[in-house]
Amino acid sequence: MKAATIRRFQTVHTWTGLLAGFALFVAFYAGALTVFHDEIAAWQNPPWRAAPDARVSVNALIESLLAHHPETRDDFGIVLPGGGNGAPYAFWQGRDGARFATASQMGAPASDAGSGSLADFVYALHDSLGLPVVGLYLMGIVSVLYGLALVSGFLIHLPQLLGDLFALRAGRNLKRLWQDAHNAIGVLSLPFHVIFALTGAIFCLFAATLLALNTVSFDGKLSGLFAQAVATAPATKANGTTSVMLSPDQLIARARVAALVKGVSSFDPDYLHFVHYGDRNAVAEVRGLSQHTLGTYGTVALSARDGGVLAAHVGNGQDANGISWSALYALHFGSFGGNTVRWLYFVLGLAGAFLFYSGNLLWVESRRKRRHADQPLRTRVMARATVGVCIGTCLGISGAFGAALACAHSGIDAAMVQRATCYGLFFIACAWAFARPAARAATELLGATAVLTIAVAVADLLANASHWMQPWTPATRAVLAVDLTGIALGLVFARLARAALRRGRDGDPNSVWALPAPIASPTD
Amino acid sequence: MIARCLAGVLLGFTLAAALPALLLGVLPDGGAWLIPLLILFFPLWTAFMAGAYAARSGTRAWLALGGANAAAFLALWLLPH
Repeated sequence: MKAATIRRFQTVHTWTGLLAGFALFVAFYAGALTVFHDEIAAWQNPPWRAAPDARVSVNALIESLLAHHPETRDDFGIVLPGGGNGAPYAFWQGRDGARFATASQMGAPASDAGSGSLADFVYALHDSLGLPVVGLYLMGIVSVLYGLALVSGFLIHLPQLLGDLFALRAGRNLKRLWQDAHNAIGVLSLPFHVIFALTGAIFCLFAATLLALNTVSFDGKLSGLFAQAVATAPATKANGTTSVMLSPDQLIARARVAALVKGVSSFDPDYLHFVHYGDRNAVAEVRGLSQHTLGTYGTVALSARDGGVLAAHVGNGQDANGISWSALYALHFGSFGGNTVRWLYFVLGLAGAFLFYSGNLLWVESRRKRRHADQPLRTRVMARATVGVCIGTCLGISGAFGAALACAHSGIDAAMVQRATCYGLFFIACAWAFARPAARAATELLGATAVLTIAVAVADLLANASHWMQPWTPATRAVLAVDLTGIALGLVFARLARAALRRGRDGDPNSVWALPAPIASPTD
Repeated sequence: MIARCLAGVLLGFTLAAALPALLLGVLPDGGAWLIPLLILFFPLWTAFMAGAYAARSGTRAWLALGGANAAAFLALWLLPH
């Protein structure tokens, strides 16, 4: 490649990184936590502090739904609680958009899912920064920029790729060290990043892309073709005669039998979908997560009246469309290889967050004035924004954990409290980063995050003290694992705080990261 | 730089949209491969955007992607429906 081309890709990499880096940091940090979505749900609502409605059976939920909203019987879904002791909730299309409700919320259904759930809030931060509607499109555009940043970053680095892959030159040249770390993580986790750039763009922009492709090149036929390609149940018409339905438990049991026949080793249902409930021709679809298959999400369609299997898109019953659609989810959520893959995704997710953080540091470092204590305005702003946004995100999320815990103990709905705490701490962190010298702000915010994260985890450990002595269940293990991971993360933040302080005191004074020299005492 | 950028974003988009539709028509039983073909859209678009930056000049990027678009949509139009 010619030098001019490499320089152009350098510009592309810098600009896409600047535009998308901050949002990607949030997506990766919250995404790494989302890998353990069900464990976080169990942490918020362990068996001994179950969510309201957690004891409601799916059957009772459906009865309550049809009593309050009889018009939904033609098409509704039931989301089963994952892990812990959350509540199952119903989902349907109301006159003005999607509606969600647990058994006791039927009178006043919500327009977004699981608003009181901490795990779902962290997920919302991950996929849309927690912003309704706009957030998802924003993150879709960010994903496209991210793909472009990956390609351009790879091309710039290509000439020295193999020679420098394992080089980590710790020496006087700090920029070299950061550059090596950025390149090594970028190249070694490239397949992982390619997965996210691709699946992220698809998940966030799918509806818009389908619409665009439908008009641009598919001559209006794409919507129909797509519905056909991902359909998991044969289309049916209501017959008009009412029938007694099998219970959800019976349907799930029959679906599991039908799934295991298709060669998978497990089938854990997470979603039920009913069409024409109560009618002779009623159809129930049971979606579940399977291991030992390429398409981890499979769906079994049954007659809700007699449990006869209508279609089983599971394991070797999936076609190319079903497998690739399901593989997108498996690859994005890391649900295809048990706990090993989940921990791998967690570590790679945090490493990804570090990639974007170090990218910003490199931008600052390569514009540093080596002979002046005063640094240019743009690098000062960038350094502060990086400190405020990145550390503020970590602080805010730890705050949301604390808020959810406090709400669970005092019996308040966590929805507003955790959101206000998270955003509040984030904006305070950003303001703090701009009000203080960058090096001080970094040390103080990292210190605050460390203290808060460890405090929340220790408080939860102590509050649950009596339950560590009881016989253990998977939920107990999940709660303990979340607490211990919180403490470990807190210790990492504490080390980073110490490193930032050391850098400020002992590092090159001509940098935004140097602590301002103490004002010389007036001499007489 | 801005000419290359626009060429990749705009013409790259339409070209990446045309190719899956073309493959759908050409492949025997294309409908069975609809989702893999749709997944192809974003990698193609990214590749065309990156390709536009590698072009010798903005004009060449516009010409190359414009030509490829013309060919792809002509083929799409000629394809038996």
